[in-house]
Amino acid sequence: EAAKYEKKVMVLDFVMPTPLGNSWGLGGTCVNVGCIPKKLMHQAALLGQALQDSRKYGWQFTEEVKHNWMTMTESVQNYIGSLNWGYRVSLREKNVTYENAYGEFVGPHTVKATNKRGVEKLYTAERFLIATGERPRYLGIPGDKEYCISSDDLFSLPYCPGKTLVVGASYVALECAGFLAGLGLDVTVMVRSILLRGFDQDIANKIGEYMEEHGINFIREFVPIKVEQIEEGTPGRLKVTAKSTTGNQIIEGEYNTVLLAIGRDACTRKIGLDKVGVKINEKTGKIPVNDEEQTNVPYIYAVGDILQDKLELTPVAIQAGRLLVQRLYGGATSKCDYVNVPTTVFTPLEYGACGYSEETAVEKFGEENIEVYHSHFWPLEWTVPSRDNNKCYAKIICNIQDNERVIGFHVLGPNAGEITQGFAAAMKCGLTKEQLDSTIGIHPVCAEV
Amino acid sequence: MGWEEKQVRGYLEFVQTAQRYHGRPIFALFCGDKDAAGKSWCPDCVTAEPVVRKELHNMPDESVFIYCLVGDRTYWKDPNNEFRKNLKLTGVPTLLKYGTPQKLVEEECFKAELVRMLFTED
Repeated sequence: EAAKYEKKVMVLDFVMPTPLGNSWGLGGTCVNVGCIPKKLMHQAALLGQALQDSRKYGWQFTEEVKHNWMTMTESVQNYIGSLNWGYRVSLREKNVTYENAYGEFVGPHTVKATNKRGVEKLYTAERFLIATGERPRYLGIPGDKEYCISSDDLFSLPYCPGKTLVVGASYVALECAGFLAGLGLDVTVMVRSILLRGFDQDIANKIGEYMEEHGINFIREFVPIKVEQIEEGTPGRLKVTAKSTTGNQIIEGEYNTVLLAIGRDACTRKIGLDKVGVKINEKTGKIPVNDEEQTNVPYIYAVGDILQDKLELTPVAIQAGRLLVQRLYGGATSKCDYVNVPTTVFTPLEYGACGYSEETAVEKFGEENIEVYHSHFWPLEWTVPSRDNNKCYAKIICNIQDNERVIGFHVLGPNAGEITQGFAAAMKCGLTKEQLDSTIGIHPVCAEV
Repeated sequence: MGWEEKQVRGYLEFVQTAQRYHGRPIFALFCGDKDAAGKSWCPDCVTAEPVVRKELHNMPDESVFIYCLVGDRTYWKDPNNEFRKNLKLTGVPTLLKYGTPQKLVEEECFKAELVRMLFTED
């Protein structure tokens, strides 16, 4: 965007390898080890389910259908490779200088870039934008870095993970557990306390129930305290010892793979922010910015997952970045709107949401001032193969004091992401319950609910 | 050792040559056939070829540069020709690094910087 305004721009992108040595190309987390491979693997799992359903719709095939991890991973990585290359070409064509080097501040307006061969170069600039994102957190227990993998490793794993223990209850944990199980693997999820912290808990529990009913084991209120290797291999065999969070009970389990998804930490501690005086939240590592994405140092800006109190979503970071540049160099005034940003969790039963969760709405407006409308529904496509009745669910939360304005939208069911996008636009326009009611539904689709 | 060039015509020859050099970096430039006077029916290929040739010295050692004539215009326009179907080529000229998703298509091949980037990218 900045190059469009004829500014001289440089991008420093460097991926510190994972403890297991994994790295990737240009594009950030979303493209390489996040949304893109995640959605593709989720789709692989959905296709598996579709194949099973298809028999009820009349498709006849006698062979057992099996899944090949390597075939899927190769296709996914190939696609990611084409994206990495596309970005390189794009930057080059717009005259943006790209260095595959680790950037850190060394003094006012000055950055040091170190490439993978250790060669250092210094650069100065008028302004800087930090968008270093986050990396998965490790447990800090014996065996975690040596034997466990994270989402950074999963999407390019050169062998099928086999029987997997997923530690965590974040959307990353549940999405991964979901598609791994969908591909036919034996999956267990170890949860310390609640599922999907920060999301509507009513829906979070429904998601957990659905996953459990579909063969994913949950071990609740336990945390791993030790991971040991029983046998080397691809995959090997690992022994996990865990302790209860409510007592002294100890349990042990054997798995081929242990996937850690317990949270992500901002990459702000080792980039020399102290040398230029950029304040960060010492506890979380996040950077507080004003509503124009500016840090406490006027010529340094930040966008993306590293921002304090902002949503960790790719489109939010992109939008914030674009608008920032348009304000700085294009004379625009629009600021990034962080309210009513829609999002979707791609668990086996997809969950799309925009606006307040029920708990947050009650907290902010008071229970007597909100009205919740909800409904279970049975997608037409699920009727023929006799798939779960009464699992899909939709609810909207309205602010009674403001014309019954829709302040929260939640849908649990297939294609939740596609459904939610339109409603997010409507909410931006100030959708009220009455307007929603007077909109005639499309039939037969889930969204008509 | 430097690099070497192989000139081939048609899909079969291309695949055989690529297979023979398996293990070495292989770059391929696909162009439309040339007439008796040495001029291609594809005007973009005429523009791109000298640009690409000028950057060949940037290829890593041991590289093989395969210069491949795809066929006449009619063959190329057929949506089912082997290059389109198997190599997923969408246009000529195409310059690619064999076995990777890295490629430059049509006008992208006119830009020396992009060509250089393709040859030197890790």
